[in-house]
Amino acid sequence: MNTDDLITGLGSELTPVRQGQLTNGVLLALGGGCVAALASFGLFWGIRSDPGVILQDVSLFAKSVLPLALGLAALALTLAKARPAGRSRAGRAIWLVPAVLAIYMLATLIVTPSAGWQMAIMGKSITTCLLSIPLLSAPILALILLALRRGAPEHPATCGAVGGLAAAGFATTIYSLYCVENSALFYGIWYSLAIIGVAVVGAVAGSILLRW
Amino acid sequence: MRSTKDIRWSELLRKANGGDRKAYVVFLKEIAPVLRGVIVARSGGQNSECEDILQNVLIAIHEKRHTWRDTEPATAWVYAIARYKTVDALRKTGRSRLVAFDGAETEYPDDTVHDPTVVGDLERLLDQLDTTSATIVRQIKLHGSTAEEVGDQVGMTPGAIRVALHRALGRLTALVTHDRQQSTQNKTQNKKKARK
Repeated sequence: MNTDDLITGLGSELTPVRQGQLTNGVLLALGGGCVAALASFGLFWGIRSDPGVILQDVSLFAKSVLPLALGLAALALTLAKARPAGRSRAGRAIWLVPAVLAIYMLATLIVTPSAGWQMAIMGKSITTCLLSIPLLSAPILALILLALRRGAPEHPATCGAVGGLAAAGFATTIYSLYCVENSALFYGIWYSLAIIGVAVVGAVAGSILLRW
Repeated sequence: MRSTKDIRWSELLRKANGGDRKAYVVFLKEIAPVLRGVIVARSGGQNSECEDILQNVLIAIHEKRHTWRDTEPATAWVYAIARYKTVDALRKTGRSRLVAFDGAETEYPDDTVHDPTVVGDLERLLDQLDTTSATIVRQIKLHGSTAEEVGDQVGMTPGAIRVALHRALGRLTALVTHDRQQSTQNKTQNKKKARK
């Protein structure tokens, strides 16, 4: 078939484009996913009995705010990665999250007497943590991936992975309101592991679902 | 620094996304030769495939035009789509050296169409398409109708018919590829069974 004919055909098929439909779709998906995650959180987990301490304790505050920062930066990065040659300044700030976490973990390691390290790391809820974060991430990630199918990622796996980080960031923020562990040595390791797991799932799903 | 080409393409694409068909056709006609050059260079110049890849890139640009933000350079956006689609196409042909299925070509005498097995094969493939696409392929490629005639028949503009035809042929190519891969798999499985 002749390329000029195709161009004429495409020209006659043109309709005006709504600006921001991809961004709006992903934000809507994130909102819907978070509502689903919050609903199941309310049903099966529930907020800890003393939520006020989260605002008073630096370590507990960081436990909720670091994943929230990760979620927001990963969201910006996902939206950039979903567009050909897309760029995002906010997305590049994502590296600050693991950097701050690493510094804070190091500080905690110094402050905690070495005899207490093992107890701090092992905590009491590794299994709950490793299961809850992926479970709460699932609805968010599923909806985000669905919305991302409207996009055109140059690297579908990368786009899916950062989408997974975004989903896990928000899900972890929700989970942190239930979790009573308070050492950065605990959540720095186990939260991170769960979040990376969700990102890997996102990468695999992305490499299948986000090709165009 | 933005190049004059980038300023021009961005301007045209901005107008196109606002619904300006004339600007859109000008945009596509200006990017096509540039992209053809890029694709030929990348694929080492197998020319028949290059034109197919170019058409796929143009369709991708059309379908994904909402992913361009008018604050970003249009050139980078266009090249990124061309790169993705070219790499994708070359990977596919690398896996199975397959000549694109383009229906009954005019340069060949159409005696194949009278061969009942070929017609049967083609009908079986067309059955896997939606009815409108199948009608368009049948009318234009087998009966030689024009896009205008088929357009009247199914109630679409001739332009939309051309695009639909292109996509339908693309899907047929995919079906043929799939068929061949399955038959080779079956053959290897049969061989394995025979060895046992």
